[in-house]
Formats: sequence, structure tokens, C-alpha cells
Amino acid sequence: MSNELNHSVILREDKCIGCTGCLKICPTEAIRVRDGKANIISERCIDCGECISICPNHAKSAITDDLSLLKKFRYKIAIPSLTIYGQFPSNIGMNQILASIKSMGFDEVVEGRIGADISICLIKEYLLKNKKERFPLINSNCPAIIRLIQIRFPDLIPNIIDIETPIEIAARIAKKNVSEKTGLDIKDIGVFFITPCTARVTSIRHPIGITKSYIDGAISMKDVYGEIVRNLGDSSTPDLGERSKASLLWPIAGGQAAALDIDNYLAVDGIHQVIKVFEELELGKLEDVDFIECSACVGGCVGGPLVIQNPFIAKNRIMKYLRKVDETKCTKEDMDNYIEMYKNGFIRMTEKILPKPVMMLDKDITRSIQKLELVTEILKNLPGLDCGICGSPTCRAFAEDIVNGVNKKAICMIKTMNGFKNKNI
Amino acid sequence: MGTLSYEFSVEKDDFERAGEASSKIKKILMQLGMDSSIIRRVAIGAYEAEMNLVIHSLGGTIRIDIDPKSIVITAEDIGPGIEDIELAMKEGYSTATEKIREMGFGAGMGLPNMKKCSDVFEIESEVGKGTKIVMKMYLKDGD
Repeated sequence: MSNELNHSVILREDKCIGCTGCLKICPTEAIRVRDGKANIISERCIDCGECISICPNHAKSAITDDLSLLKKFRYKIAIPSLTIYGQFPSNIGMNQILASIKSMGFDEVVEGRIGADISICLIKEYLLKNKKERFPLINSNCPAIIRLIQIRFPDLIPNIIDIETPIEIAARIAKKNVSEKTGLDIKDIGVFFITPCTARVTSIRHPIGITKSYIDGAISMKDVYGEIVRNLGDSSTPDLGERSKASLLWPIAGGQAAALDIDNYLAVDGIHQVIKVFEELELGKLEDVDFIECSACVGGCVGGPLVIQNPFIAKNRIMKYLRKVDETKCTKEDMDNYIEMYKNGFIRMTEKILPKPVMMLDKDITRSIQKLELVTEILKNLPGLDCGICGSPTCRAFAEDIVNGVNKKAICMIKTMNGFKNKNI
Repeated sequence: MGTLSYEFSVEKDDFERAGEASSKIKKILMQLGMDSSIIRRVAIGAYEAEMNLVIHSLGGTIRIDIDPKSIVITAEDIGPGIEDIELAMKEGYSTATEKIREMGFGAGMGLPNMKKCSDVFEIESEVGKGTKIVMKMYLKDGD
């Protein structure tokens, strides 16, 4: 049960047939197949959703909030993810979509645009010009990447931009505005994020870099898509809503770098590609790059596990809108205001991001060394095929599981089979 | 007792695999639960040594010995050897060809960086025979 409390990604045992599809795709080796069912090792899971996307039996799923949670608040605000712009055909106007979302029981729908605008302005005009920052800067908005860094690349923690994600910024500003407008206490105002992202769901419940999220619930975009479509009103003139270049580009891989209008950047999407780039970065190879935009999902947030539309189609639609939108203008006054909000911590990650050394074999270094010696010894006797039939993702993980005492029934099928073969000869 | 050793062979001109040994070393240290600052030092030291083997040597090995008090990286090659070690240790000095420099390698910082990363740095070389570099890093409390 603890897994369900801490994570959005869960396993539906009834649907799992114990195949090894998810084992190897998991970037933190957090899955084991034991007794014919996949298990997720809670402290290793970063909620990236790779296993959800790959499972042919739909046995991996995500826990999100449902609309009944709205009842707990007197004033309800919905903030749809910026990926929403790519989810509907272009003959449907943004205000239609927002109105439809509102009709699900919200008092107000706020676009995430302001958050993207603020973030882009601050990165471009403030952080990239501040030579005290540790370069290359790494974007902070992909929670799966932040958790990947905590677990596998703790040395890169200082490179993470300490500006909150656009949705969190939008939520904070919206709550403040509504509280001023209505006189309601912040506690009575509920902000609900319509999310394409499993990792974000976890980050709302267990935030990293801030003590508490201003978002009160995360509703899966997949879950409410049908309802949004059903409630769509008629409109003869599709409007563009309140979009800006930064907010349209944000959810597409490479979009932030494009909105920043810089040259010296890397845009990396797909968590396994991100890992490769981080490995090079940790060896000190990429220190002359200014900005690395990482997205765990292929295609960016539009490739999230809870979206409806294929990420390439979503991108195509967003790019069509983009041509009709003017440059985001950031006046000196805006900029001073943003810097103030950043400096006073309102839109900033004020808490330290800590490493999570879950890959380590033992807290005591001497025992760690002994365990690793044993792992190396066991490995010598394994076939090295990394087939996953034993239920561990690699031969090495199999050996580690034995040494850590978590796999009492460890059997290598290949070894057993070869044993039989040799006897027959 | 309690010393863990790994050896990786590094081939001349194998740019494709360059960095592999250092990445593996880094993973081992993470599994051992070492602090990221020492991991960074070791990984960068090992990487510079590995790149030197790829670019300048005729091939060699990178060895790592880990015990609870220290980490020792030994890079050994089979030639061609360094004529003037003092000159080679100077920042910015490099014998790398223009082509290699264009690729972003051979900036003449390899040996100085290795020295910077280490608590003890030893280099011995004989022309026609080979070079041996030993980098020792001590684990402090908390690492």
C-alpha cells in the first residue's frame, strides 16, 4: 500500500501476466517480476510512466484524483496542462475548451500561460546572464528528470534551475488573485491540474524543492477528455485564447530553448537519451553548453503517459497555432516584478534538492565493498545475457538482489538449461 | 582484505567507446554509496586518463583499486612514452594534432586536470616503453 501512497504509477496485478516488457525499460531498475507478477520498488520509482506506456496488457496504471475532490473547496480553479493546446482539432477554439472544462464543476479556469512566460523571461534575462550559476542549466519542470538526477546523477543537482514549474507558478498567482478578489482564505480555494504527467501527480503530493504545492489535486487528462468533448459548446469563430509563444512551445521537446531564442543548448527528450547525455555531462564533457532542456517523455510533455493525442499530431497542431501568435513581450516593469517574485521565493524552489542514494549497496562503506566483491563473484558465473527471465532486469541486478537478500528463490534459467545440456552430452 | 579492484582495457583511437571505463567506475562508486564530490573527482580523473590513452597512447589499461580509505586509479600504456614530463604537465601544452584539437580534444589540460583531481599524483614514463600514471584520492569522513 505504501507504494500507492507515494507514487502515481501503480501495478494492476489482475492484468499483469508477468512478462518482462517493463523490466528493462525502467530507467532506475525499479521493477522486479516475482511470483509471476511485476513489483515496483517504491524508493527507486521516479514515476516517469515508461512502464505504463510499454505494458501491452495495460497492467500499469496511474493513480490520479477525481472530480469528487472538488467538494472540499469553496472556490475551485482548474488549470489545464499546456499540452491541452495540442489535444483538439484546430476548428475548436480555446475558449470553447476552457468553457467545457469549467462546466465540469469549476468556478474558474486559468491558463498556465503566465507561468511559462515568467519562467522563460527569468531564465533568459536573469539566470543565463548570471555567471554565478552552474552551467549548463537544466530545466526544472520535468519531475521525472529531477528524481532521476536525485537517484542517478546527484552531482548535477546544482545545475537544476530553481524556478518553479509554470503550472505551480500559475497556481500560486491564481490563488492569490482569487483570495484578493473574493476575500476567501487560501485554504478554501482549490486548484486542480489537468495533467498529462504521472510524475507531476507525485510531485503535487510529495513536492521536491518546495514545502507544499499550491495545487490541491491532479486530474488525469485521459480521464476527463471524454467529458470535455461532450460538453463542448458551439462556436463559429475559434479563438486563440490567451496563448503566448512561450506557453505554446513549452510542452514540446526543444520548445523552451526555442522560446528562449538561444543557440548554445541541447534539447533532449526520452529518458534513456537524457541518461546518455547526463553521463557525458558528469564526466565534464558539456560544460561549455548553456542550457540542457530535458524531457523524460519522447516529444516533450505532449508525449506524457496521460495524454490522448499522439505527440507528433499534438506538436503539429501547436506549431500551426504558433504562427498566429506574437512574440511574448516582457517589459522592464514585468521583469522587475518577476525578479522580485523569484527573489522573495514566491515562484522559486526554496528547499534544497537532496540526493537519493537508493542504488547503494550498504550504508557502511566496508560492507558495501564486501557486497560488491560478492556481486562481482556471482556475476562471473552468470551468462550475461540480461534476458530478464529470472525477474531481475539484468544479470548484475540479479546478483545484487541475491547479495541484498531480497531474492531468496533466485534461479537463472539459462544456467539451469545449460546445466541440463551439458549432462546430456 | 577489503580492496576491490577492476581493470578496463582502452584501445588506441577508439573514440566510440571513450568514456565507457570512466562511466563504469562512476557507477561502481555510486553503488558503494560514496559522496558525489569524490565520485566527481574520480570520474573526471579517470576520464582524462582514458582520453589520454585513446588519443596519445598505443593502448593500455585503466585500473581502479578501492578500499574504505582511498581510491587509486592507475593508467598504464604500452607506449610511446613522454619525452619531457615537465613540459607535458604544463597547462595548455599538447602534442595532439590539429585534427584532434578541432574535435575538442587535446587542449593540453589532461595531465594538469588529473593532478588537480588527485591527492597524490605520480607519473613515470619512458620513451619507447610507456607511461604509468597513479592518482590517489583519500576518502574523508562523510565521503
